[in-house]
Amino acid sequence: MTTDEPLLRVRGLKVGFPTSDGLVKASDAIDLTIRTGETLALLGETGSGKTVLGMAILRLLQPNTRIEGEILYRGRDLLSLPEREMQKVRGREIAVVLQNSGTSFNPVLRVGDQIAEAITLHRGLKGPDAEAAAVDLLDRVRIADPARMAREYPHRFSGGMRERALIALALACNPSFLIADEPTRGLDAVTRREILSLFSEINRDRSVLFITHDIEAAATLAARVAVMYAGEIVEIGPVDAVLSSPVHPYTRGLLGSLPERGMRPIPGSAPSLIAPPAGCRFSPRCTFAVGRCEKEHPGLVEVGPGHYARCMLYD
Amino acid sequence: MRSFGVTPHARSSIRVWRWVTVSGHNVALYLSLGVILVYCAIALFAPVIAPFDPFAMSGSPLAPPDATHLLGTNDLAQDIFSRLIWGTRATLILGFLGAAVSVVMDTIIGIVAGYYGGRVDEAVMRFVDVMMTIPAFPLLLVVTIFFRPGIYVTAVIMGLFGGLNGVRIIRSQVLTLAVSDFVVGTKALGAGDGYIMGRHILPNILPLVGVKFVTSAQHFMLVGIGLGFLGIGDQNLVDWGQMIERASQNGGIILGLWWWLIPPGLAVTVISLALAWFAYAWEERINPRFQVMRV
Repeated sequence: MTTDEPLLRVRGLKVGFPTSDGLVKASDAIDLTIRTGETLALLGETGSGKTVLGMAILRLLQPNTRIEGEILYRGRDLLSLPEREMQKVRGREIAVVLQNSGTSFNPVLRVGDQIAEAITLHRGLKGPDAEAAAVDLLDRVRIADPARMAREYPHRFSGGMRERALIALALACNPSFLIADEPTRGLDAVTRREILSLFSEINRDRSVLFITHDIEAAATLAARVAVMYAGEIVEIGPVDAVLSSPVHPYTRGLLGSLPERGMRPIPGSAPSLIAPPAGCRFSPRCTFAVGRCEKEHPGLVEVGPGHYARCMLYD
Repeated sequence: MRSFGVTPHARSSIRVWRWVTVSGHNVALYLSLGVILVYCAIALFAPVIAPFDPFAMSGSPLAPPDATHLLGTNDLAQDIFSRLIWGTRATLILGFLGAAVSVVMDTIIGIVAGYYGGRVDEAVMRFVDVMMTIPAFPLLLVVTIFFRPGIYVTAVIMGLFGGLNGVRIIRSQVLTLAVSDFVVGTKALGAGDGYIMGRHILPNILPLVGVKFVTSAQHFMLVGIGLGFLGIGDQNLVDWGQMIERASQNGGIILGLWWWLIPPGLAVTVISLALAWFAYAWEERINPRFQVMRV
């Protein structure tokens, strides 16, 4: 169920990591809206700032990170919330399925207990009640023999099972917004399809920010797609429009690099995030670049209904 | 079978504890644990085991071992066997209580410093550096001579003065845990710092804390015996240090009265070795770097 009411609104978000070489601008002036019940896929290559954006929403970045802008969730600015209030939002309102499912469970605690602790933290259920709820959750993400698996330690779970268990952990308090960070990474084709079908069930009741570089997964799950490059959103719009008729040269390159669409890689490599190109960040690699691309920084331009691209060609 | 990825250099630098494994079980571990448990049992049941009051005159002075006095008597006609048994109690209390105080302190400080990192870590570790330059034993001597504390207070003081050297190991371990995915994940579930430290970090470092406890216990036990030997132990109790001191000061060595001097000395040596072996064997078991070598 999708409504037009925005659940999450990110405005002018800038995230910078101070390093000895300078400030790494991991995301720069991000504007993003996610409506209630909507799934937005965030596409981009490694290092484009996708995960940073997800972590910034939950305020889970290192304490020395510089963050500017606004992240409005149900009208409240998460960036100015006191830590204690933020703890109530995490897990209960907004949950995350982290990448690296292999290391996202504490190796010395049983999986069931770790899911139960999320339930205890927010839902007030204790002991056997929380454990029963944990078993239910494992069952919901289709783990076979959930009662037995709940008593196992994480190392006894296979990669696909761990991914499911991680999803169960995120769903523990029935959050209205879920951030899924590359949940299909490192899974075989069959498991990947199963996880995707699980997500297509999960995203019926909630908004999902689906961070991925799996374009096919984005096409299956999302209503809208945002493409990130070098810390910026370069194209955003309805999934059909962006994936079937992409306008930004980077999106075209990204899609063209898929095996089934000719496998033509984009020449060059992503720019430094410490000193990104002054004009369009993609201009050094862009085959359509003209003189002004290197000097002026393009803004997002509407190219179709709800479809925006950050490119001079459409200015 | 060859173990891959292990360079000859790494191989030679590994401790040689492998010789004590029988069918996969580490004999050193179980043997030393057995010795420690026997000592604990003796300490616990001292009143039952000891045939005489350790302070009472129970026969003629300086009598050699016989059926009544298993290890003979000392110059005050006290039964040495009974004193040895009761001495186990004092010695273990000093060792284990001292170690407990020091390890609890190390764990709390190490977790807080490692978890928060940054300035907290910097401040705490500088403080620890300063504390570690304080010579613990002389300070302990002065305090005990001056205040003449009982055994429990002595143990606690020992733990407080001499016990910050575990902080660094624990902190370094916590530094890695604090940025691990499952800690970020638990934060993402809405857990607070205290909860994460207690429920997620602590269980991960417990094996390390255990090893530290055993090595400290050995250390503090020997320090306690040193205090007893210097005559500044708790005078209301028997400990092995005092027994050795009495034997050496009152002619045990000159007269060749072996039953007076050797039992407490041997008792110290055995428990001290057992604790050291146990710590090594346990460390080998929990440290993956040593595990690879078994292939």
